[in-house]
Amino acid sequence: MEFEFRRRDYEADHESHLLPRSRTLKHPLSSPIASRQHQVKTVRGSEIDFFDPLMGLDVNVSVEEEDTSLSIETVTQELTKEWKSLKRILMQRFPVSKVISFSPVSNVVTKGSKVETPSAQPHLEETGGERTCLDETAKVMDQQEYLAKVRELIDGITKAWQAEDRVTSLKLSIKVTKLLMDTTVLQFYPTVFVVVTDMLDMIGDMVWERIKEKAEHDVDGTVICTLPNDFQASDICLEARETCYNWFCKVGSVRELLPRIYLELAILPCWRFLINQPREVLDRLVMMVRGLADPLASLYCRLYMVHRMQKLGFCNSGYLIKCIKDIEDVLTPILADKEGCSYITDDKKLLFNLMEPAIEYVMKCLLLTGRQENNVLGMLEELGFGRNNSQSSENSSHVSILLHHLLKELPSELVSSQAMEILRMIKCSKDCSFSQVLNYRLLGSKLCEGRSQAGFLSSFVNEVMQAASQYQALYDYLRIMDAYVDLLLQNKMETHLNALLDDIVTLARDKFLSEEEQASLQSIILKLLSHFEDLQKVLSLNHFIEILDLMSGTSKKIVNMHLLSMGTRNGFCICESTTVQLLFEVSQGLYDATDFVNIKDDDNRQTSHLISRFVEMVDYGTERERHLLFLAECRDAFNGIHELKETLVRSSNTLAVKALKAGNKHINFVKSCLAFSEVTIPSVTIPTKQLNLYLETAEVALLGGLISHSDGLVMSAVECLENVTPTDGLKSVDADNMASAVCRLCSFLVMVPGNPEKGMLEILKSIFSATCSSSWAMPRLKMKILCAIISLLSTLSQDNLPYRSANPEIIGNDLLFFGDSSYKNELVSWTQLVVGELVEAIEQETSQIARGNIALEACNCISSALVMNEKVSQLCLRLLETAEGCLGAKDKYLEATKQSLQL
Amino acid sequence: MTTTTTVTVKLSRSNRIYRSSEAVEGTIVIKSPNSISHQAIRLSVNGSVNLQVRGGSAGVIESFYGVIKPIHILKKTMEVRSSGRIPPGTTEIPFSVNLRDSGESIVEKFYETFHGTNINIQYLLTADIPRGYLHKPLSATMEFIIESGRVDLPERPLPPEMVIFYITQDTQKHPLLPEIKTGGFRVTGKLATQCSLQDPLSGELTVEASSVPITSIDIHLLRVESIIVGERIVTETSLIQSTQIADGDVCRNTTLPIYVILPRLLVCPSVFAGPFSVEFKVCITISFKSKLAKAQPKSDPTAPRLWMALERLPLELARTKRDQFSC
Repeated sequence: MEFEFRRRDYEADHESHLLPRSRTLKHPLSSPIASRQHQVKTVRGSEIDFFDPLMGLDVNVSVEEEDTSLSIETVTQELTKEWKSLKRILMQRFPVSKVISFSPVSNVVTKGSKVETPSAQPHLEETGGERTCLDETAKVMDQQEYLAKVRELIDGITKAWQAEDRVTSLKLSIKVTKLLMDTTVLQFYPTVFVVVTDMLDMIGDMVWERIKEKAEHDVDGTVICTLPNDFQASDICLEARETCYNWFCKVGSVRELLPRIYLELAILPCWRFLINQPREVLDRLVMMVRGLADPLASLYCRLYMVHRMQKLGFCNSGYLIKCIKDIEDVLTPILADKEGCSYITDDKKLLFNLMEPAIEYVMKCLLLTGRQENNVLGMLEELGFGRNNSQSSENSSHVSILLHHLLKELPSELVSSQAMEILRMIKCSKDCSFSQVLNYRLLGSKLCEGRSQAGFLSSFVNEVMQAASQYQALYDYLRIMDAYVDLLLQNKMETHLNALLDDIVTLARDKFLSEEEQASLQSIILKLLSHFEDLQKVLSLNHFIEILDLMSGTSKKIVNMHLLSMGTRNGFCICESTTVQLLFEVSQGLYDATDFVNIKDDDNRQTSHLISRFVEMVDYGTERERHLLFLAECRDAFNGIHELKETLVRSSNTLAVKALKAGNKHINFVKSCLAFSEVTIPSVTIPTKQLNLYLETAEVALLGGLISHSDGLVMSAVECLENVTPTDGLKSVDADNMASAVCRLCSFLVMVPGNPEKGMLEILKSIFSATCSSSWAMPRLKMKILCAIISLLSTLSQDNLPYRSANPEIIGNDLLFFGDSSYKNELVSWTQLVVGELVEAIEQETSQIARGNIALEACNCISSALVMNEKVSQLCLRLLETAEGCLGAKDKYLEATKQSLQL
Repeated sequence: MTTTTTVTVKLSRSNRIYRSSEAVEGTIVIKSPNSISHQAIRLSVNGSVNLQVRGGSAGVIESFYGVIKPIHILKKTMEVRSSGRIPPGTTEIPFSVNLRDSGESIVEKFYETFHGTNINIQYLLTADIPRGYLHKPLSATMEFIIESGRVDLPERPLPPEMVIFYITQDTQKHPLLPEIKTGGFRVTGKLATQCSLQDPLSGELTVEASSVPITSIDIHLLRVESIIVGERIVTETSLIQSTQIADGDVCRNTTLPIYVILPRLLVCPSVFAGPFSVEFKVCITISFKSKLAKAQPKSDPTAPRLWMALERLPLELARTKRDQFSC
């Protein structure tokens, strides 16, 4: 008994399987605006306190403006945090391990490890006795060792305190504090500072607690009172005040200035037990620090003072300003030598490095306090801002490191309003403590942050540019102006922008740009690129191309990448020929700078992706031949990019389809396109992609009525299928894709008219044999392909094909072989062959569940393709048995299949 | 529990400071493991000025005598309990002693407590418990501190009697290093030379010029004790305390504060009594950078040296009325 194909009426099937349709009045995705408005109204009406963070932008603004001042609590919290991070910075930036030299260590440390028993020595001995310690011959000691000793001493302090031996505690802490007098090893100073001030903070807390305890409890431990947080000095009992004053006496009797200041600062908060207004105390302390001549020691001492003032809760900007002025007084003589000119030496550089974190902290503190007092402007005036220009510029010149950190902390709105003044100050501060260029830069970036008033900008920028060009060096000029580019762009200052570009070209002419200069220039260009949405606008800027040509190396590459991504990012076609030309050159530059063959990393992938995207987006419109030429050029130019090949083929196919749509007269152009594709495809390395591209091109050929081309392409596809070897490293996903591609090929073959000369089923045969012999196709995939072939055979046997080529000149097989019995017989015999192979493939599947499932799939395919005669039903039963053996009788798929077969 | 009997005198004030017009109050604390009998418990108050002359400034003959007969300020004995027995455990016997008799009006003689080199003004409370011939008598002594209790004490703050000083190479009476002498220097300032004991010594100092770098500026507090020994006056000046106010070559023309908290007990109001006097002085020293300074061993910091400039100023210390917040 022979196989017999089921008769199919595709149209009827289509109709019966259609979902019932009904008209709708409204688009389901259109927004129901009316109802939403209604909702909002109800919410407002019922006064539910609902805040949409995305909504009330204007509400936010008004809140901000109202509350620019900070509460004392926030300032305190903020500064406590800052202090912690400052300590970390000091330890990290100047790590002990990096200091190679040994520090001469005074006897304080070497002697101090043994705790002296408190003796009844007269007062003078007690405090003045240590005096000579530091003068004695210094011993050399490793820094780690030194720190260990110091920590040991500090341990001694806590132990003595716990043993109620406060005299010893105090004595030891004086000793430890004296370490800060030694600035011989500069790099080591910050570490010592952190260790010592930690100890001092600890002592300060302990003394505070002790006096508070005395104020709250009497000798027997009965409670006298509980002090509120904002207690007054009058709340404190005499006893506690006595003890407190005694501490100040003890500390005050230390001979040396530096430890005396530090220790008083440690117990500074305790002044609250004695007086309500510690103004005089703070005034005096600020002045006392002036007695320390060493610049580093005095700066760090001021740093600690600011920290402790904060702890006392009485840190107003007045003291801070005094401190800063004093710092300035100390720094000025360091900066200028006798002739008055400022130059940097390594020593000074180190010194300023060490000073920077401290200055930064003091400035932060100043600005926070100023904001809390709501008096930032007044504060600045006191610091010498806004002084009339009538005064000589020397008077208003500031040490640039101070100016820098002040500027860094200033709120950007304030910088905007004071920009001219700040600029003038930067101009005046030319000392070596901080680079003036960086100060100009900082001003620029601050201005970009804030909302700047356009009024003065023009003259302001003129002045900046003038100042920048005074440097002569291109690098300095670029670095300064880099910070102002955004400002120019934001405020649409085109004349200035043009002038800037002019300047750059003038300065860079006939020069090879160094790496730093490249980097600065790169930053400027990128700012321009990110500002303008349209590449055209950037290209039309003065000298832009010329400036691009200045770039080389990595900077060039980065700029090119940005140019390319900018050209392709907004999804519009690139039509302008100059733009295409530029981007092509840019791509070429990128391509030449990248090694696509040997290195495959993310960077290269991005580059190749950008280039492919660019090629894809180029559109010459009706100049299709020019376009095809362009594609050919690209193929030559970017030979190493695999991704691009695919794009090229697709583009050329698209061109062919466009030409076809435009009318029949372009058939030769279509042929050239197909030829281009056909030549390009073999260089695609991934077989699946190759297969798909052949198929796509074949579809285009068929659409153009070029049957021989189409046949050729399909044959190439099949060859490609035959040539796939497992050594190609086909992964299972690729194999799956391959199988899908083959299925797609089968679907395509429905439309392709058979060639009676070569044998009507020539292509099908080739696919079949390639599948059977293939080593990549696993039984599961083999089954899939074979089922597709069976379906194809069944479809071809119908009197009416389900679909046909869009080109009316192509005649389908249904008409070509209508009533041809040999054709039908061939189909049937081939079906037998395929079914045999199919059954075999199922047997080969090793996994039980998979075997069961593919048996059922095959069974369904066969039953839908063939009439259920005895032979077919036997076959189906066999398959069902296999499935039952593998899946069990209760499998749902098995049951459903059985039901549909009615067996 | 201890096996020995202890006696301590506890004063009502922990700082032990009393005025001469006030009664000194406290308790005698006796801790004893067993009951003891005694022949009355007596408390005596003793105030005296002890004078001694020693060392170089005194003549050979005076140094033979060494201690000069002390001047008695006060001597009183009272019985706080008549003879009897004290039960075992802790017994506290309160007492209250009026330093001045009711009719007495002369209070000048109650000099304030002072511990100096040659002069010691001291007030002691002693508790004695004689226990007959068979037992050792028990006793305990406690010092208390007298601050002037005069009603006519000046109010704080004292009128600031500022003395303006200037120190240059030309004001120095001792030889200076040639480079200091020729280079020149000028340090000016002011100092309150009348000062309440409750207040710190205060003033200002400014380095206006100095060609040789400065290494240190110190404020030394000195006491001058004078004793009449026979026909002569023996005067001894000694250092109480040094306070550094400038460390290193400080900025020119910036004002540095002078601030010295007066150490308690080591100072007292300036006294000019008949047989003795206690006065105070301030010595400002400016040390210049010099190789000689390093080579010099530790010695009297107020002695004139080649690399140092000095200025001595008198200082009158006075007791002022306690105001509400002072300590």
